[in-house]
Amino acid sequence: MTYDILLTILTVVFALMVVFSKKTVVAAFALLMTLLTIAMIYFQLGTIFLAAIQVLVNAGAIAILFVFVMMLINLEQFQNNRERSKTKLVVTAFTILIILGVFSLIVNNNIEMLSAVNLTDNSMKTLFEKLFTTYYLPFEMATVLLLSALVACIVITGSEKGIKHDQENLNE
Amino acid sequence: MSSIYYYLAGFLFTLGLLGTIYKKDLISILLCLELMMGGIGLLVILFSRSTGLLDSQLLVFFMIIVSACEVAIGLSLIIALYRKKQTIYTDDIKIITE
Repeated sequence: MTYDILLTILTVVFALMVVFSKKTVVAAFALLMTLLTIAMIYFQLGTIFLAAIQVLVNAGAIAILFVFVMMLINLEQFQNNRERSKTKLVVTAFTILIILGVFSLIVNNNIEMLSAVNLTDNSMKTLFEKLFTTYYLPFEMATVLLLSALVACIVITGSEKGIKHDQENLNE
Repeated sequence: MSSIYYYLAGFLFTLGLLGTIYKKDLISILLCLELMMGGIGLLVILFSRSTGLLDSQLLVFFMIIVSACEVAIGLSLIIALYRKKQTIYTDDIKIITE
């Protein structure tokens, strides 16, 4: 019960930081924390495999990738925050609505708390058996997708013209 | 009776959607897209609990792979755009209308 509400509050706070923070680096770290708290929820719900994957791939790789790209792009000139004027109004109104809704549910004691599924070794075994028998084709396609994404990234960013352009900028 | 996590998943998705609509620099838009993917993944896991099927966990596994590819290509496109136009704001990019 307490864990559910604590994890939910943490996730909501970090998710709001992603949208509201003025500096993009802070937003990236808030996203990292959001993904980690979602991983904790996965862990609490008993899907340990996905919690590990979430920490490794989403939090470990993607959030750090964002920080690397911010290093490549000169963010100093983008510090003035150009947002649409309605942004904060709309998002704040929506957040207040959601928080009031959840709060009313808690007050009315209308919330069912989920306990972790009893995961035995058997269910993990079934999961991987399914992955390598029924879902063998999607698994192989995922590897091909990752490889093609790798090639695409190299083609898009690693062109000779672009590298020459960067070197000229450095020389200036 | 329903779990608080359903509301959390909906909240994350809608907050990411609003951020995607209202933010103006491309990196923030990609961050909000990741937030939406987090909400969807949580929702699929909750459905997997209520149906008792293990297949949904594999669905989330494949979703994480696809979102990793999406972010990698999106960020490389941002870098290519920054080299060409020296900006990351959606207002300054009017390639189609120009």
